[in-house]
This record gives sequence, structure tokens and C-alpha cells, in this order.
Amino acid sequence: MPDTSHNPVPSGHPFCRRGRSTEGLIKAFFGGNAALTIVILVLIILFLLREGVGFFPEYRTELQNFRKSGLEFVDIARKDLTAHEQMGSLLNRAYFAQVNSNCREEMQRLEEATAIVNYLGEATAPAHDALVQVTDAESNSPPTPELLQKLSAQYRKRLADALSGRLGKGFPPTPHLSRTEQQLLCDQIAARDPLSTDDPAFANELQASLAAKRELSAAPLIAFRDAIDAFQSSSSALDVLVSETSDTVKATKEAAVLHGIQVRKRQTLLDAARTAKPDLRSQLEADIAAAVTTEPVDFTAAMAPVLARIPQFKEANAAMSAGLTEVSEKLPLSLSDEKADRYLKAFRAATPAMAAETADTVGLLEGWRADVPVGIGMTISGFISGRDWITGGEWQDIYGILPLFIGSLMISIIALAIAIPFGVGAAIYTNQLAGPRQQRFVKPTIEFLQAIPSVVLGFVGIAVLGTLLQEVSTLDSLSWIPGFPIQQRLNMFTAGCLLGLMAIPTIFTLSEDAINNVPAAFAEASDALGASKLQTIFRVIVPAAISGILAAVLLGLGRVIGETMVVLLVAGNRIQIPDFTDGIGTVFQPAHTLTGIIAQELGEVPFGSVHYRALFVVGILLFVIVLAINWTAQRLLRRFRISQH
Amino acid sequence: MKNPEQLIRRGVHRKGIAEGIVKTFLGGMTWAVIAVALMIFGRMIWDGAPVFFKKEAPFVNMDFLTKKTETLHVFDDAEGIRHQLPASEFHQWKSSHGTDAVFNEQTFSYCGGGIAGPIVGTVLLTLLSVMMALFFGVSAAIYLSEYAKQGRFIGWVRLAILNLAGVPSIVFGLFGFAVFVLAAPILTDTPADRSLLAIPLGFTHLSFEGWGSSLIAGAATLACMILPVIITASEESLKAVPQGFREASLALGATRWQTIRKSVLPFAMPGILTSSVLSLARAAGETAPIMFTAAVAAKDDLPWEGVGSPLGVLTGQVQALPYHIYTLALKIPTSEYTERAQFGSVFVFLLMIFLFSAASVVLRNRVRAKMKW
Amino acid sequence: MDVTSGSVIPEAVQLADIYSIFLMRIIIRSFFSLLIVPFLGAVAGAQSISIKGSDTLGAKLVPQLAEAFKSMHPDVKFEIAAEGSSTAFPALANGTAQIGMSSRKAKPEEITAARAKGVSLNEIVVCHDMLVVITNKSNQIKALTKDQVAKIFTGQVKDWSEVGGTPGPISIYTRNTSSGTYRDWQTLAMRGRNYSSSSLKMASTEQIAQEVARNKNGIGYVGFAFAKAPGVTNVIINGVKPIAANAGTYIYSRACYLYVPQNGDALSRSFVAFASSPTGEEIAKKIGFVPNP
Repeated sequence: MPDTSHNPVPSGHPFCRRGRSTEGLIKAFFGGNAALTIVILVLIILFLLREGVGFFPEYRTELQNFRKSGLEFVDIARKDLTAHEQMGSLLNRAYFAQVNSNCREEMQRLEEATAIVNYLGEATAPAHDALVQVTDAESNSPPTPELLQKLSAQYRKRLADALSGRLGKGFPPTPHLSRTEQQLLCDQIAARDPLSTDDPAFANELQASLAAKRELSAAPLIAFRDAIDAFQSSSSALDVLVSETSDTVKATKEAAVLHGIQVRKRQTLLDAARTAKPDLRSQLEADIAAAVTTEPVDFTAAMAPVLARIPQFKEANAAMSAGLTEVSEKLPLSLSDEKADRYLKAFRAATPAMAAETADTVGLLEGWRADVPVGIGMTISGFISGRDWITGGEWQDIYGILPLFIGSLMISIIALAIAIPFGVGAAIYTNQLAGPRQQRFVKPTIEFLQAIPSVVLGFVGIAVLGTLLQEVSTLDSLSWIPGFPIQQRLNMFTAGCLLGLMAIPTIFTLSEDAINNVPAAFAEASDALGASKLQTIFRVIVPAAISGILAAVLLGLGRVIGETMVVLLVAGNRIQIPDFTDGIGTVFQPAHTLTGIIAQELGEVPFGSVHYRALFVVGILLFVIVLAINWTAQRLLRRFRISQH
Repeated sequence: MKNPEQLIRRGVHRKGIAEGIVKTFLGGMTWAVIAVALMIFGRMIWDGAPVFFKKEAPFVNMDFLTKKTETLHVFDDAEGIRHQLPASEFHQWKSSHGTDAVFNEQTFSYCGGGIAGPIVGTVLLTLLSVMMALFFGVSAAIYLSEYAKQGRFIGWVRLAILNLAGVPSIVFGLFGFAVFVLAAPILTDTPADRSLLAIPLGFTHLSFEGWGSSLIAGAATLACMILPVIITASEESLKAVPQGFREASLALGATRWQTIRKSVLPFAMPGILTSSVLSLARAAGETAPIMFTAAVAAKDDLPWEGVGSPLGVLTGQVQALPYHIYTLALKIPTSEYTERAQFGSVFVFLLMIFLFSAASVVLRNRVRAKMKW
Repeated sequence: MDVTSGSVIPEAVQLADIYSIFLMRIIIRSFFSLLIVPFLGAVAGAQSISIKGSDTLGAKLVPQLAEAFKSMHPDVKFEIAAEGSSTAFPALANGTAQIGMSSRKAKPEEITAARAKGVSLNEIVVCHDMLVVITNKSNQIKALTKDQVAKIFTGQVKDWSEVGGTPGPISIYTRNTSSGTYRDWQTLAMRGRNYSSSSLKMASTEQIAQEVARNKNGIGYVGFAFAKAPGVTNVIINGVKPIAANAGTYIYSRACYLYVPQNGDALSRSFVAFASSPTGEEIAKKIGFVPNP
């Protein structure tokens, strides 16, 4: 570095300029590094857009093909079929609930017997499997007698241990089986050939008695059963039609796709040949000649036989409507079992809607036109408000973001519902009520929580918390809580709890900051007016800090929505809008999220495909949401700071 | 009319009860959070520490830390005794005892051996990314605190820093994948088809076709992610150096750069470095950004083995502890045989993170104590 | 300003000097050497085989084949990534893998994409795999028909009582969409219809088995190699038990493929040859795949 500052150089001398210009260079270098942050942000936006923006036109082309090849037509017809199947399922559930309502005792007995068989089977499995392995007819050498003896001895030992309840979680409880019955079952299993896995006679007896009981209680419901069967068979004509036409349209679509691929293949090969080395080029040219082997698909001609069947669709539709009216008349007014009755009522409630939908279908089918282009607006709105995210399927990939968005939202709400009271409460306590010694311990400890990597929390959820919650939920004393017992151990609630734990440090730290920043004069003035400590806190300090606390909550929300690993591991990955009829129990359903879908699918899709681009669009959406949240939080914070002065 | 003093006292007393209730309630909440956190740590330590520590010297299970990841084979021998062996030992056992002696064989991928690969990968990723982020971040902070005047450019930079800090990690993953894996420039004789732009340089091409999934791509992604943290922390440290230092230096005739180099940076450096240790913990802990840019579930080699040149280390994929834990949690069912690998990895990982965090706290306190002007 | 007061400064300068002189320089120097990094060609490791693709093959079979192969050729290294069949073909085309594993046949567009980069793929059927329907051990249902299975997975049947079991809402566990198994199952068992939207998408076959074992109303499908997981029952389909002896008559059966470039290196070809050799078949059989007829 030329040290020019000590020399009394006259201004304008080249030395001085050089000195200044090095200074200028250094400044420009640092300035350039500062600009890097802007560059990165711009690059993020640019590349997300670059990969994502192609999605809509490409998806639109796919949807266009979906329409042109007639898949959409079949989907219209199939919608009724699906609705009909759902209704049939409702009736079936009602019927079986009613039948089973009389057989509870038998079912429990059978379940307990199965539990014993399973327990003993699992306990002896190692020895049993080893025996099967050595006596396997295909194996090359027959086992030596001493090996057989050794293994049989093991089997007997394990069986004896299991019978005395010393293995695993111990002997399963059997409140509905008598002592002798249990003994009988155990004896039968003990007497069973070690190589066999047949159910013992007593279990079969129980099975038979259950079947008999079921038959008995089904007897008075024969009319109901017949009505259900008639209802279910009323859709058979439509079922056949749909599956036949779907084969036709699928073939059309496949042919169109194949042709598209061949055309593209030729193009790729042409491009490749242009730059290839000579030896490869001749090979490629041969490939090019053989590339396009199919004719372009004539959609109208391919669709004609399907459209010609509209009268048949009409007929099938009428049969289904008739079936619906018929079954509504024949159904019993009410069922004695509470659950069965609920299903029946649900069926009754859904009947008018179903009837109306079925009636509309014919009009829709007749009015359907293959050549109406799919608008880009429709594509976008379909993406934003779509209720399905179906990928990798045989029929048609559908990208609808709603279930993912709702999943993210629900989990965030659960997380905040946990994190806000704990985070803000802890902040108020630590700042206002706790002594200095507690403060010194609490603050760093909660801040330390922030350092736990999210993947570790995800692991905690999958290995410990999920199972724990599920086990707790099966306790009889807790069955009054809606949604208990929990079926899937990976669900929104588990994920929400862990994310709440992640958000607590953020909310705590920032709220504590906000409360701390309320000028001491506020509290002093309040004290001077004779307010109690609580009044000062809740009427003066917290309201003064409220915009800071709100900003803290928003930043916590930003963190929760953007979090990936916990939801990917713990949320259960079910792409469906939750069924809100469960009330508060909805939180125990699994869900998929915006972040989770990117993490789960990005590594596995071909670069540049529609699916790949769809994931980038999800990324853009996520980016915008989080940015908006953070921006609002920053505004709030600024307002909070200004209000302090 | 009663004695007013008594009235006041009674009022105070009643309020005292209310205050006590509220205080207990809020305190209970605070301590509940801490209790839950401790319970989680407790569980991880309870199950993980026995893997990590052992009774005899050197008291640490070196095998677990230094061996490579293998498949775990669990099987019974003819006596009904259960064995758990990693693949290499299992093949030895099998060749010495005969194939027929193995019964009820179960295999658990990634659960045998140790976790040397993931540890090494994480260390490399973290160091590389922090190094990059420190270079750019400190330079940017110098500009912000030493050169910049309020203006539009600074406004934009501050906005960018704020926004970058809020970008979700998975979006950084997408960004790293799109930019570093698929579009960054390399020198190559034969540009790939998907290259964005190939500039012929005469002897070779500069092709924007990306570094592929590699250590360097992952580190670059992580560096972008921790950059705002480092800039903010560095700027604070620089601003904490008293203005008089600069004035004195400038008054002696030093140039701006000399001033920064001799009179500002040396005093800000400790602060910058301690806060960067915290971002070290963050870079080590993130999974989403490296999922698509660097990490691989299984790799026989350590990063420097089997590569042609030293630079090959940077272009290869690596295993990483957080990704390893993700794989173990998601793809391997929890059972008594997999818990060693699962909880052991988590324990080592947490230990690493907490060493970083604790180091930063201790350093910060020492620096604060010493650097008072 | 109390800058010059006290003896704090010298101490601070000392401390700061240690930090700044060493660390600053290390950082700057190593950084500049790093700047060279982007300008590299691809460096291929010698004697290493990178295998990518299906989780069905990559979770157990291929790692164990690799381990057995290594016991014969100790200096060979493997890199195995099993994220789904769809990952195999781009990796082969880009040259980032020498061998691709797939539980489904390559699609025409995938073959074309590889061909365009000068890679023609050889297809080798290494073995067959049966897809086994699993339910929780405590489930009373031990047998289903093909039709019932289709109805369960498409969501037409929602309760176990509808197929004769103890009442309880059915939870469906499937693989995620990039998996070859996901598609194969759609073709084999569901006549190409879409999965019920209430299905849970799991990242691996092992996870399906684990979740079904934990959920008493769960149902899922796994490759035969994973069917012995604890806590699950293998369901008899149309009266045929899913065991190796019934491989011919069991309906949910599919081929598993390895793909290698035609001009691939000798090492990867010898590994593929090893996989379809009697020793390889023996390993496949032991794990639970069905050797080629």
C-alpha cells in the first residue's frame, strides 16, 4: 500500500490521484460486497420466477390435452359415480354398524384371543422362522438332527417364557375371556406343531360364533341389505360405461403424448446431431430417421365413439337417479345403534344434493365441447383454488394448492395457539415479575431453545412425541376429548406442538425486548397514581408494548410457516383438505404443507417438467407469504419505536 | 367510616393475592416451557449418551465417531443368541461360521458402524460456508459502517438484508438448486446441453451449467443463508469501536483504508468472530438447504478419498449429520436395533451445536469484559 | 470520550491482534484460493460406482449386493442414493450415476432424454418383486379380494366393517409419487384410478410398515422384502398367500430393473453381471425378492 498521506504532495499531483483512486477502488470493493445482498435477493427472485413462470403455460397445455382427448368428459361422468360410491359406503357403514352393535361382546372376545395368538406368535417367531428355514424343502441339505433339536428346544423355551408373560410387554389383558378359556387357548397353541401358523381351534370357534351372531342380527335387516344392494347395483351400467370410455380416452391421450414425445425426440436428436462428433452423428442420424413413427392424433375422430355413447350415459344416469329415489323410500326410518343412525342421517342429508348433481350431469355432458380452449386465467385460478394435488398418477396430474395451503395454515395456527400464551406470558413474567436471579437463568435457557436444529425436533416428534400422544389418547379416562383416540400418530397437532416450541424463543425474546423498551416513566407514572403492580403491567406496560408484541408474534408466524423438516417428518403427509366436521378433533388429522411438498418431491422430479415447475411456484408463493409477514412485522416494529419517542 | 389506612392496607392485601395468583400462573408457564425443553434434552441424552460415552478410557466411543456408516445385520445363531454386526463384520462372521448358521436375519440400512462420514461432511460444509459468508459479510459490514452515507443504495441494501433474513430455508434450498447446482459457471471443454450460456474462451468453454450437487454448491447455499446474520453482527461490532479511534487515526494522516485496517478492524474482529460462531451453529443445523444441493444418504468414501485432485473434494457430494438424522428418522423404522444409530447421531449433533453455541456465549462475555472503552 | 483512560487498551490490542492477524489472513487467503474452485472440470473418482434410483431396490438389495461385491473386489467404492425410480434416468443421462435402479420400466421420454446425450440404456431384469398388502396384526381381516383391495385404495370403501372386519375408519399408507411402486400399484391393483385423497404419502417402504404396525386400522403395500416387518399381517389376496412359492400365481407381481449405459465402464457392467449371477440371485432370494424364472 503506497503511503501517500505523509508526503506533502500538492493536490492534483498524479501520486495523490493514485492514492485517491486506490481508496476509491477499496470503497468500490466494499460497496460491491454490500451490493451482494441485493444481488442474492434478486437472484432468488429471478431464478424462482425463471423456473416457476413456465409452469402456467405448460400446465395449460396439459389441461388442453386433458380436455381434447376427452379425459375431462369421462371425469364429469365419473364424478357421479364417485359420489354414488361414497353414498353406498355410507349406507354400508350404517348397515354394518347396526349389525355389529349386537356383536360387541363376541368381537371383543375374538380380539383378545387374537391378541394372545399374536403375542405368543411374535414371542416364538425367531425360533419358528429358523425352523421353517432349515426344513425348507428347497434348501440344499437337510438339517442335522442336533440342529433341529436345538431349535425345537429354543422354541419350547420361548413358548414357556411367553406363557408366563415374561416377554415383550407381557401377557395381553383379557377381561372378556374367562380363565379357563384363556388356558384352553394357550394349551392349544402350546400343543400346535412348531412349524404351523394355523389359528388354534378356540380362535376358530370364536370366529364362528361371531359369524353366527352377525348372521342372527342381520336377519331382521334383510330388507335394508337388499335396498343397499339394489342401490349399489344401480350404478353398474355407469361403472361399465365409465371404465370403457376411460380406456378409450386414455389410449387417445397416450397416443397424443407419444407423438409429442417423438416429435420432441426428433428435435432433441437433431440438436444433438448438430454438435456431435462425427462417429456419434451418423448413429444419431439413423435414430432421427426412425424417430417419428406415429401419426398425429385426430382428437375429433377419437372422441366420436365416446360422444356417440351419450344416450347410454343418459340411460345409466337415469338408472342411478331411480336407484337413489328407490333406496330413499326403502330405508328404515331410524336405526337403534347411534353410530348407524348417524350414518343414515348423513345419507339422508346428502341425498338432495346428490340427486341435483346427478340431474345436472346429462346437461354437462351434452354441453361439453372438446375444442373450447383452456384460458390461462382458468389455469391460474384452478391452481390457486384447486382442491387436489395429484401427481405421478396414470390419469392426469392435477396441481391445486389449497390442501397444502390449508395444511400449512392449520399447523401454524396450532403452533401459535401454543406459542403465544407461553411466549408472551413468559416474557411478561421474566421482565416484570421474576427476580433478577430467575431472570438470569430463564432468559438464556429459553434463548438456547432456538439453537435446537429443526431436524432434531422432527426426530423427537417421530420417535417420541407421536407415539406418546397416541398412547395417551387411548386412555379411557381421556376419551371425552374430541378426536381421541388418535388414529394416525403423525398429525397436525404433533407437528403444531413442536413448531410452537420452535416459535416460543422468537416470540419470547422479541416480546421481552418490547416490554423492556417501554419507557420507565410509564410505569413510574402509573405507580404514582396508585395503581397496583398488576394494573401497571396489564393496563400500562403491555398496551404500550403491544405493537412490539404483535411484531414478535408475526415474526414467529413467519418462522413457523417457513419451517420444513418438522412438518415433513411429523405432519403425516396427507394431501387433502382436512375434514372439518370433526370439530376440534380436526387437529388430529394428518396434513401436507407448502414447505413439505417441496422437500418431499423436488429431489425426485425430472428437471424442467411441469411438476418441477409447480414446486417452484409453491416456492414463490411461500416466499411472498413470508416476505409479507416479515414486512408487516417490520412496519409494526417501526411504529412501535416511533411511539416510544 | 373506618380508618383510611386500614382500607388501603386491605386493598393492597387483596391485590397482593391477585398478584400472587397471576405471578404463579405466568411463572408456571415460563417454567413449563423450560421443563419441556429439559425433558426433550433429557430424553436425547438418556438414550444418546450411552452410545457416545463408555466406561473405560478414553470414555468416548471412538468407533462410533470414526467408523463409516454401514448396514446393520441382526441375526440369531443356532444357539438362539442374537448378534448385531455391521456389514463388514457380518460377512466375516458368515464366512467363518457358514451361511446355514444364520437365522432370522434382519437388516437395517445406515444403522451399523459409525458416523464419521456425516460428521466430516457437516464440518466441511459449515467451515466452508462460514468462511465465504465471513469474507463477504465483513466486507459488506465495513461498507455499511465505515463508508456509507444515508442514501438510496444503503436503503436498498438494508431492505435486502432484512428480507434475506426472513426467507425460509427451503426457499434457499430451491434457490441453491436452481443457481448453484444448475446454473453456476464452470470451465469445461464440452458444455452440457442444459447449459444456460457457454462462452468459448479459445482453449476451453466457460459454461453456465452448474456445479452439480456438491460440497461447494451446498456451502454456497448455506453461506447465502447466514450472510444477513453475519452482516448485522459485524456491523454492530464495527459500530461499537469508538469514533475517537478513527478520528485519531485520520488526524495522524492515515487514509480511510489504513484507518479501517489498523484502528477499527482489529478491535471489531473479536466481536465479529464470536457472533460468527453462532451462525456456525445455524449453518450446521440446517437440513432443507443442503437436501438438494449437497447431501447424500450413503457414501463409502470420506470426501477426500478416491478423488483425483484436491479440488475433487469440493465437487463431490457429502454426507451431513442433519441429513443423516433425517434419513434415519424417516426411512428407518425405530426399533431396539436402530436406536443406537438414531439417538447416537442426534446426541453427537446436539453436542456439536451446543459446543458452538456455548463457545459463542463464553467468547462474547469474555470479549465484552475485556473490550471496554 | 473516555478512550485513553485506563490500562484496558493494551490488553485489548493484544487480544485483538492475535485474532485479527491470524484469523483475518487465514480467512482472506483461503477465500481467494476458494475463488478458483468454480473453474474446475468434473473430476471422476477412480474405481467407484454410483448407483441411483428406486427405494425398493436401493434400501436392501443393492446395498447388500454391493457389500457382497466388495468382499470380492475390496478396492471398489459405492455411492448409493435411493430416492425413487424417477431419479435414476436423469442421473444416468447426466453421467452422475453409472447404474440406475428402477422398479418400473423406463418411460419413452426418459430413454429419449438419455439418448439425446449419447447414452443408450441397457435394461436388465434382476429379479421379480411381489407387492404385499399389509394390515395391522390385530386386524381380523386376513384375506381380501382384488376388488376389495382396489376399492379400499381408491377410497370407495372407508370402513373395515364394509369388508367384514371390526368397525374402524381405514387409514391408507402409500409411497410418495416419485416412487415406481406408487405407479406400479396403481396399474396392478387399482385399474389406473387415482388413490384416495385421504392416503398418507410415506417416504419409504419401511415407514409404511412401521406406521401400519402402529395404527390398528392401517393398510398399506410393501415389497415382499419388507413384508416380514414386526406388527403387520400379510393379507391373502384372492386366496393366494404372498409367499415365494406362490410367485407364479400371486397377482401383484412386477419386475425390477437395473439400467446401465451401453458404453458404460467395465466395473459397473461386472457389478450388473454379478447381480444376475447365481450368487446375486441367492442374495435376492434371501432378502425376499423372487429370482427370474
